[in-house]
Amino acid sequence: MQSKIIVLAEHDGKVPREISLELLGLAHRIKEGSEVKAVLLGSGIESAAAELASRGAAEVVYVEGTAVENYNVDAFRKSIEPILNDEAPDLVLIGHTPNGWDVAAPLAGRLGVPLVTGCAQITMSDERTLFTRKAFNGKFVHQVEVTGARPLLATVDKGASAPFDGTTSGTVRKIESRLSLEDLRASYIETRAGETGGLDLREADVIVSAGRGVGGPDKLGVVRELAEALGGQLGASRAVTDAGWLPHEHQIGSSGVSVSPKLYVACGISGAIQHVVGMKGSGYIVAINKDPDAPIFGVAHVGVVGDLFEIVPALTKALREAKGR
Amino acid sequence: MKSLVLVKQVPDANSVFRINAEGTWIDESNLSFAMNDYDRYALEELLKLKDAGKLEEVVALTVGSPEASSVLRTCLAMGADRAIHVKHEASSRLDPLSIARLVVAATRDQDFSLILAGLQADDDNHTQIGGLVAGVLDWPSATAVMSLELKDGGTLRVERELENNELQVVDLKLPAVLSVQTGINSPRYATLKGIMGAKKKPVTTLTAADLGVEATSGLRSVSLSPPPTGKGADVLSGSPDEVATQLVSRIREKTGVL
Repeated sequence: MQSKIIVLAEHDGKVPREISLELLGLAHRIKEGSEVKAVLLGSGIESAAAELASRGAAEVVYVEGTAVENYNVDAFRKSIEPILNDEAPDLVLIGHTPNGWDVAAPLAGRLGVPLVTGCAQITMSDERTLFTRKAFNGKFVHQVEVTGARPLLATVDKGASAPFDGTTSGTVRKIESRLSLEDLRASYIETRAGETGGLDLREADVIVSAGRGVGGPDKLGVVRELAEALGGQLGASRAVTDAGWLPHEHQIGSSGVSVSPKLYVACGISGAIQHVVGMKGSGYIVAINKDPDAPIFGVAHVGVVGDLFEIVPALTKALREAKGR
Repeated sequence: MKSLVLVKQVPDANSVFRINAEGTWIDESNLSFAMNDYDRYALEELLKLKDAGKLEEVVALTVGSPEASSVLRTCLAMGADRAIHVKHEASSRLDPLSIARLVVAATRDQDFSLILAGLQADDDNHTQIGGLVAGVLDWPSATAVMSLELKDGGTLRVERELENNELQVVDLKLPAVLSVQTGINSPRYATLKGIMGAKKKPVTTLTAADLGVEATSGLRSVSLSPPPTGKGADVLSGSPDEVATQLVSRIREKTGVL
């Protein structure tokens, strides 16, 4: 039985975002022979739509108009809903991105269907569809299925799936948005940069990061000393910046900055998915944590299970001695 | 203007988790529970608005087991005016859509203009209750909110957290639902006076049957398992000095930064 899968694509104004290509790749792998379509919204997006049609979508339905020029939950939800009703897909894939999850849940609520979020893998047979995701911030892998509802709605993690590796000669179909900005209950004002103090962790070769396990702002010294001994920058997990132990500019993760240093040392960081998304591109990852089950050990190259207040100073000392030679 | 905060009782993150006998979720016996961290920020945001004279009432609601009433007590002690407890023995088996429907049914006709929730729960990490409630009510919503400001004329200006340290500024017409990101404020602690005063504040208790909502789950948990092993770190052992020496040689060998 052929299944229809719709990918809700994102773009950066001109070209499709990587997550959209990953979703198209996943859509083709979920079930062989599926009909894969994409939906795209924006203004001046014909070439982005054409690109999706060549990279995995048999048809791209794109909604053009000023109301959907910038992401807006009300306009997007109201534009997507009738397309899903017309197309009647079996499965809708949405990126687990800030705009993806922002629109996915209201859409699910309106359609009256469950939503599965943050999926890493989805498999579909004629009998059942299984969604693999994380629970407890990555401590466990959680597999769920949706019973008795259509369409199935899922958000998928960035980087969880490879883009479609072939080419397609899909068609594009334009829908003029009839929504007027005055009728909407949400309006986009602007996108602005968060506060920074001039620190750019994206340029650093070495980053030593502190997590909740450090315990308090007065205890950051050992981590800072290790960063200095390595000639690197000080990073942090969200828990540390939320608690005000370090300014937000130090935060690495899905909502902070994404980094790719040659060396990343995680001190007292459990490795919640939001943090891992921002640092997994690092060349070599060292993790020091007292919890042997911490998810950070799943992405690190080398790890030490133990008290960071013993390990980190010993490492700083050994590095200084090694450099002195 | 009346406001509602959705809160959830979750296992303490420092707990030692065991998978249940069916292999479908954690074994919830012998765990200690606490209020979901994200929800503390949502409550604080409403309490701040009330302190500033912009809200007349802050109501806390949970859908949870009888024991989840302790989370509502925490909210009342922190400053919420009253609480609603939708009791459900097996609430961890309800899907978020069913919970959203219970929330909407429990608050219908109560004239709330602003509903806040935490961005996600630390146990199931679903990241959707705020948006689902907004969808069921057909209200506008925003997620990962890092600041909010009530403006004249029934409008709310919010800043949503995007990726790579960017924020999106959005205006929403009230009534609206927001899900709040951690770090938006510094949640207060309950004072002794607050804890004593909480005992006198009203808590309404309801069930799914009272609300006429069929609380089933369209989301079935098939399995819960530890993350796959095999990849992952090469774990070093020895004294701190021994592992430090090993780390230095690995860093030298693998990174070229020394």
